[in-house]
Amino acid sequence: MPTSRPSVPPSTWVRPETCAAMDTFFHGFGFTAREDLDVLAAWVLEGSTAHREEPRAALSLARARMEQWFSKALGQELEGSLLARGRAAFVLCDGARLGARALTREPLSQDFARMLRAAVPVPAPVQVASVMPEQQLVLWPFGEVLRRWWRGAQADVSISG
Amino acid sequence: MHAHSFSPESAGPRRACVLGLAAASTVLGTWEMHRLLSVRGTTAPEVVLVALFTLCFGWIALSFWTAVAGFLQLAVGGRMPGLRWPTAEEESTRLTSRTSVVMPIHNEDPAAVFANVQATYESVAATGHLESFDFYVLSDSTRPEAWVAEELAWADLCRRVGGQGRIFYRRRTDNTGKKAGNLQDFCERWGRHYDFTVVLDADSLMDGRTLVKMARLMELNPRTGIIQAPPLCVGRSTLFARLQQFAGRVYGPVVAAGAAAWQLGESNYWGHNAIIRTEAFIEHCGLPVLPGQQPFGGHILSHDFVEAALMRRAGYTVWLVPELGGSFEQPPPNLLAYAQRDRRWCQGNLQHLSLVMAGGLHPISRGHFLMGVMSYVASPLWLLFLLAGLVAALHDGWLSLTHLPEQAAGLGFDSDGALRLFSVSMGMLFAPKVLGLTLALARGQDAVRMGGRARLVASVLVESVLASLLAPVMMLFQSHFVFGTLLGYRVTWSSQQREDADLPWSEAARRHAVHTAFGVALAVGAFLLSPGLLAWLSPVVAGLLLSIPLSVFTARASLGLWAERMGLFLMPEETEPPAVLSRAREVTEEHAVAPVADAVDHVLTDARAHALHLALLESQPGLETAPVALASARQKLLGGVTEPLSAPEKTAVLLDAGTLAEARERRLSRALS
Repeated sequence: MPTSRPSVPPSTWVRPETCAAMDTFFHGFGFTAREDLDVLAAWVLEGSTAHREEPRAALSLARARMEQWFSKALGQELEGSLLARGRAAFVLCDGARLGARALTREPLSQDFARMLRAAVPVPAPVQVASVMPEQQLVLWPFGEVLRRWWRGAQADVSISG
Repeated sequence: MHAHSFSPESAGPRRACVLGLAAASTVLGTWEMHRLLSVRGTTAPEVVLVALFTLCFGWIALSFWTAVAGFLQLAVGGRMPGLRWPTAEEESTRLTSRTSVVMPIHNEDPAAVFANVQATYESVAATGHLESFDFYVLSDSTRPEAWVAEELAWADLCRRVGGQGRIFYRRRTDNTGKKAGNLQDFCERWGRHYDFTVVLDADSLMDGRTLVKMARLMELNPRTGIIQAPPLCVGRSTLFARLQQFAGRVYGPVVAAGAAAWQLGESNYWGHNAIIRTEAFIEHCGLPVLPGQQPFGGHILSHDFVEAALMRRAGYTVWLVPELGGSFEQPPPNLLAYAQRDRRWCQGNLQHLSLVMAGGLHPISRGHFLMGVMSYVASPLWLLFLLAGLVAALHDGWLSLTHLPEQAAGLGFDSDGALRLFSVSMGMLFAPKVLGLTLALARGQDAVRMGGRARLVASVLVESVLASLLAPVMMLFQSHFVFGTLLGYRVTWSSQQREDADLPWSEAARRHAVHTAFGVALAVGAFLLSPGLLAWLSPVVAGLLLSIPLSVFTARASLGLWAERMGLFLMPEETEPPAVLSRAREVTEEHAVAPVADAVDHVLTDARAHALHLALLESQPGLETAPVALASARQKLLGGVTEPLSAPEKTAVLLDAGTLAEARERRLSRALS
């Protein structure tokens, strides 16, 4: 029967499939060392009962934990998914090289937070929607005069019409 | 709005001079040609010959007088009238406007693209005006591998320069309207953030000081719609490219200054290395779709000329400003790549024929359309002129197996007059080279930086010989493109070859077989008619017979670099490179981008690529993926089918965050278990 004891590797107290799900999740942040993955799984599952549940519940917990961490670290309201953009920033500035402490350390290093904020991908600024109206060109004005004379009051049309 | 309200008062006399002299020269040349041909009456083939001569000679005459105007402008010095330039005091103030620098790309080498963006970005930062500029890489890439590599290169660039929030990357999933559509999409989403937009090409590079100067000119001249900074070709090593670069550096300024001198505020826009007034562009330059089928109908391919004409129609001026400097691009590396680019441009320029008479356009804008058409139609006209000359001579009895040219005098033919007219034509053709060389020699410092006066003269002579040999090949290429376009040849839009790779003999033989065969036929035909005629045609025949080896050898970087070591075809920008050029080269070498072999595999296995790609996907909600391609891709990726993904399947997967996350999770689980 697993017990809630974060000081020992989670593999000893978390269901194997939940443990595998946690490993996969944190691989996405660039963590590959066994000890880091254990610490991070414990960091997510500590004090919760999710480990007694399905891996899906543990993953939800991990996502929520990371979103909370990113909102604290980035200190800003990001458009779109905080987790996706935060994770990209974390991976782009190679946060995993600092080990699990990059996430578990309290308070967070200001230098690292600054680096993280600078790495948040901003592919484009806020859009200001406008329309480039298609220009009307009368390709053959003399022919147009004739057309109007012949067909009377037919409305102008865009040449692409 | 009055069409001429912005041209300075001297515009009329300048145009009258250049266009009047070109017209007068054409009349005189035509009259002389007619005199030469009509000593025994005028036959139908001779009428055709004179008509073709008039068009060809008129084109040469316009280029000649434009070059003369440019020479005078550069020799006398001083700025072109019309634009208000900043005073020293104004130059020291902050820019009050916001400018976007946009680079549309399509399946390009990301290392070179982002190195140029970085060098330009750093160059602007060095001016202290970075806060007035934002940078956009606007991708239309269709290859999944190019797409993923661009994302990674963009993220790397932002990390290197701290550019997140100032350097942006956007990829379109729908390539409607190609490059013009790409720019339109930018304008409709983000254009209103900016007063001005600098449009670059994928191989463009611009000095920050030039960008600041262009923005300031736009601020000071509120009715200016577009300022074009003519780009200088740099950065290639193949012999062909070095010839282009050298020619552009020595003769280009004369031609550009000449065009600017008489076109003034009705100059043209070349599609890149130019700044545009964004709001005016949005309001007045939305391109229409032309009625009918290709080649004349459909989306406008060569958008730049049309945008310049529309901008001018709306009452904004368009200026070509050669003295800006600091504007660079790369030439095609070899003759075939050059021809490939021409094929695309040819259809675009011919399409402008249907716009020449469009209502409301400025007469000079119509002239730009016609000049664009002539830059390609001149080739088939020259070809037809050569053939018509043979036909007319045979028809009139000047040439036959019994009448050799030297006997023509006995028939009343004015051989001296013909030689004189030929000499005048060749003189006018080569005048821009001579004028450019004269200016370079006169400017001692320039000559020194081009290898010294002796090497400079030698370079011009060798370049002229090689250009003369290549000209007949281009004549046949362009004639083929023009006839093909008129007969409904469809142009596909593919990225240009931008690498200095050697050209295989087999490829050259395949592309130039017809040219060689035509050369053989021309040589045999001419010899049978008269050996003397073959001598007259020898420059054309030689170029065609040598087309295969010429194409292969000029494509070699080793020969280009050898010429450089010999001090031939040197440019000041090579001997003393501007900082922005050196920086671009450094960045390209230091931060080579690892190629992405398989886009989906890369995104699934590389944590960085995966995280970045998903973040970018989520920042663009509403992207649609092809359901059929996605379903089959999912079957292959998640259903254990080992068959590789097709390109559409890869694209579908790369657009679906759910599938990517699921596939990566499965792969990792398999690897970890």
